[in-house]
Amino acid sequence: MKFQLQLLLFVFVLVLISHSSGNEELFTEELLLRPLADHGKVLAHFHFEHRAPFPNRDHQHYSLFPKSIHQLVQKFRIREMELSFTQGRWDYERWGGFDPVSSSNVKPPGVELWAVFDVPPNEVDETWRNLTHTLSGLFCASINFLDSTTAYSAPLWGFQQYYSSGLRYGALPREAVCTENLTPWLKLLPCRDKAGLASILERPSIYNGFYHSQKLRLISTGFGSEEGLQPEIVLQQTLTVVLQSGSQRTTTRAERVHSWSISSIFGRKAKQRCVLAKSSSIFIELDRALVSQLRNLDVKLDEISDDYWNNSAFELSVTPNRVIKEAQSPYNGNLAVLYEYSMDKINSSKPTDIGIMWKLPMVWACLQAPFHASRFLMGSGNERGSIAISLRSTKSDLGFSGGNAIDGSSIQVVVFQVVPWYVKVYFHTLQVIVDGESKMVDDVIEKMHVSPSEDKVSPGVMEMILRFPCDTNSVVLTMEFDKGFLHIDEYPPDANQGFDIPSAVITFPDAQASLFYLEDNLSNSPMLRKFQEKNILLSYTEVLLVPLATPDFSMPYNVITITCTVFALYFGSLLNVLRRRVGEEERFLKNKASKRTRFFPLLLHKLSAKLRGRPQEQPEASSQSSSMGPKLVLKVILVAGVAIGWHFYFR
Amino acid sequence: MRLFLFFFFFFSSLLASKSNALTMHTNNWAVLVCTSRFWFNYRHMANTLSLYRTVKRLGIPDERIILMLADDMACNSRNKYPAQVFNNENHRLNLYGDNVEVDYRGYEVTVENFLRVLTGRHENAVPRSKRLLSDEGSHILLYMTGHGGDEFLKFQDSEELQSHDLADAVKQMKEKHRFKELLIMVDTCQAATLFNQLHSPGVLAIGSSMKGENSYSHHLDSDVGVSVVDRFTFYTLAFFERLNTYSNASLSSLFNSYHPSALMSTAYYRTNLYQRPLDAVPVTNFFGSVMETIHTDSGYRGFSNKVTRRGKIKTPVDQEISQNERRRLTSTIVQDHVNDCSPKDEYGILSSVWNSLHERLEKTGDTDTLVNYGLMIMLPLVTITTWLS
Repeated sequence: MKFQLQLLLFVFVLVLISHSSGNEELFTEELLLRPLADHGKVLAHFHFEHRAPFPNRDHQHYSLFPKSIHQLVQKFRIREMELSFTQGRWDYERWGGFDPVSSSNVKPPGVELWAVFDVPPNEVDETWRNLTHTLSGLFCASINFLDSTTAYSAPLWGFQQYYSSGLRYGALPREAVCTENLTPWLKLLPCRDKAGLASILERPSIYNGFYHSQKLRLISTGFGSEEGLQPEIVLQQTLTVVLQSGSQRTTTRAERVHSWSISSIFGRKAKQRCVLAKSSSIFIELDRALVSQLRNLDVKLDEISDDYWNNSAFELSVTPNRVIKEAQSPYNGNLAVLYEYSMDKINSSKPTDIGIMWKLPMVWACLQAPFHASRFLMGSGNERGSIAISLRSTKSDLGFSGGNAIDGSSIQVVVFQVVPWYVKVYFHTLQVIVDGESKMVDDVIEKMHVSPSEDKVSPGVMEMILRFPCDTNSVVLTMEFDKGFLHIDEYPPDANQGFDIPSAVITFPDAQASLFYLEDNLSNSPMLRKFQEKNILLSYTEVLLVPLATPDFSMPYNVITITCTVFALYFGSLLNVLRRRVGEEERFLKNKASKRTRFFPLLLHKLSAKLRGRPQEQPEASSQSSSMGPKLVLKVILVAGVAIGWHFYFR
Repeated sequence: MRLFLFFFFFFSSLLASKSNALTMHTNNWAVLVCTSRFWFNYRHMANTLSLYRTVKRLGIPDERIILMLADDMACNSRNKYPAQVFNNENHRLNLYGDNVEVDYRGYEVTVENFLRVLTGRHENAVPRSKRLLSDEGSHILLYMTGHGGDEFLKFQDSEELQSHDLADAVKQMKEKHRFKELLIMVDTCQAATLFNQLHSPGVLAIGSSMKGENSYSHHLDSDVGVSVVDRFTFYTLAFFERLNTYSNASLSSLFNSYHPSALMSTAYYRTNLYQRPLDAVPVTNFFGSVMETIHTDSGYRGFSNKVTRRGKIKTPVDQEISQNERRRLTSTIVQDHVNDCSPKDEYGILSSVWNSLHERLEKTGDTDTLVNYGLMIMLPLVTITTWLS
């Protein structure tokens, strides 16, 4: 017994030593809540991060890191991967487009997947194929539709500037996103959705929101190409949702005040932290624009007094543990403020509901990217059309002070667009219109790489770098296209709904959406560290819906009925003429007349015929018909003549 | 040596033909298919999810359930209750709970994929969770719902699964030892016609309606705006809601629970391919996962004698036989199966005569020579008749 106890102690010490050796697994969970400028909507951004040493001979087993993901990394030699499931479209104009969340966590609707592999170039496509199938099994989605060469592309520099080869990108805009995708994603967390921040994720309230995007990003630095870094795998899981704040109160001046708390937007309270997480915290962020609005109202946010969370404009329901301020801001010196709540300090027995209560109605404008990008279709009909990408200036002078712009007065924009093969874009028809004036393509486009689509083989890929003066109001790019025909087997069951063209990606390499904080001690907050990293401003355009000619039986049906009618009319009249015996009709009329006059003899005749058992004999033969011969021949010739005339006339 | 091999194969083929009766029930699988797209077919998805919930509740784990849903109803923009699917007006039970695992969804639900799942002929890259990895001791429940007609079932409003396709897939499954017993349950209009071509033994089929009959929905939910469940499935669920894993309700009690007046159609059971008496088969043999336990007096020392012998014999059958001999082996099994079922067959003598003719035809190796001989015989016949006339 004593020996056993000693052994146990020894094992325990061993475990402790192995854990303290620095090469350990790390899991953190964070939640960022931010009031949005749009009618009391709230942005909730969950960030779960796993860090684990790269699997090698010493490290084959993990206690926290999900096994399925580490197998994925090892099997497919993934250097970096990002998979996102999104429902809804992020409203860049009302929810902001110039912050780390909207630039790196907002994704296009449906599924988007990109991955960089550490395999020889000839094996990349095969690895991608296998990866899509594996992910479709893991996340209950039809990601395997990305396996055909028509569905994915290999961008050179338009999508992720720092990779040249081994990158594959694919998107499925139509893919439905629902509970069955979220559940396997949650199962990767060590506490699943049973404890910790994930426990507030009530499915109906999330899917009732305006936007939700779950993302899985994988970075592994163990394949030897990066020097000096400790080989490790980082798995970042983020969930970004936009929800309606629960309660609305109308003030005396008929202005609406939106107050909210975690339980009012999610329907559940955050009870306890996930004990396996190294840190677990909730942040409430007031963005720069809101802070500037509060300044205008003379609300003191800077002075740390005892009741700074209860001021004239708002009241925080729980006292924050820490206030973090932004270090520098290009936005009129207004700095964003973060209130941090550590879940360790929240009493698990008495769950408190973190929230914000507004005392004044707040109206503010969100921060926007320098240009608002949108894309639309032009033209009509089932034959051709054109795609237009428009960049409209938002008149905000943000973000260029710290940028690496070569020339202060011009801005660089990178456009990346993938178009399926059945939309055959003619790249030579590219037109650039700057402020309403048509410009030469070379004046605006610095660099362009185009790979035209090949029917049923590969999609059309367009990557280009534009450069134009900062004070430009609008830039429009248009390209014409022809619509192709699919084989009847290639149409989806609901082809009449139209076909989706995945979102284009617009990148502003000069603009940085990073947030820098005054606080130095951010080591236990990977989310804030990520906000401080180089965040290149990026936005996605709308998904386009192109109606194509669909297989429709009504057209062949119409053709068949019309031709049949024509044939029936022609042959019917011809046969009528050929077979009609005019004399017989007259005789029939005569017979009728005679029937009326001599009824009884006819009856007798009939009776006798019945008695003899023979059919009634018609004494008169068709003697007269021969005499009508010339007339008939004439009529036949007439009809034939008409037919020939018709034929030649229509030649 | 050759002689020995021949005897060995003969023996093993004999054993294999008998194996159907001998193999133990090892595991349970369920393939649940909703074949209808579009919002107004909400009830078909609710049907399938109700069955999914039932089999899960009765013990079949998620990795042994292949769930195919042709459309997304839970997060459909028309759904007033996002991420929820109900099969009853009272909204007491959310079928789309937190732990639904959909294996094939949307455009993936096609006749091709369905047949691939049944026959197990997938691409290499397809993950295990999307495969039906059953073995010869498996009991499989195949539930299908959608819009059907005389001997067909529509998939996604664009293609059809015909009764011949289904029968062929089941036959392939039988030959590949992919199941021991198979229960096919179909809730469509004229569901009974879908089973007309089935010939493989060990198959039990339940259809919601006879030929010429429609299957109707049970009730409309005015909040959701569409009908939420079909009658046949509703009464099936009503039967299962009273049961748990330990109940001993038999298949015949399930069959007797269907009343034509309540269903507004006549439920059809095809039992002539199934050997066991229905009142002795508990429903949990298909709808749950209840294994037979074997009591041993001593500690665990592997399988019992009989089982190990069978195991030893079966592995060489699977691995060592050359392609040619394997074909012969399987053909003998087919023969056995056909002989097994022909006396009980609906079509009676005619079909058995046809089958035997068909077999003989298949046995004669060279069909071309047969046809040539036939033509040769025809020639004098023609000359004689012309001379006579």
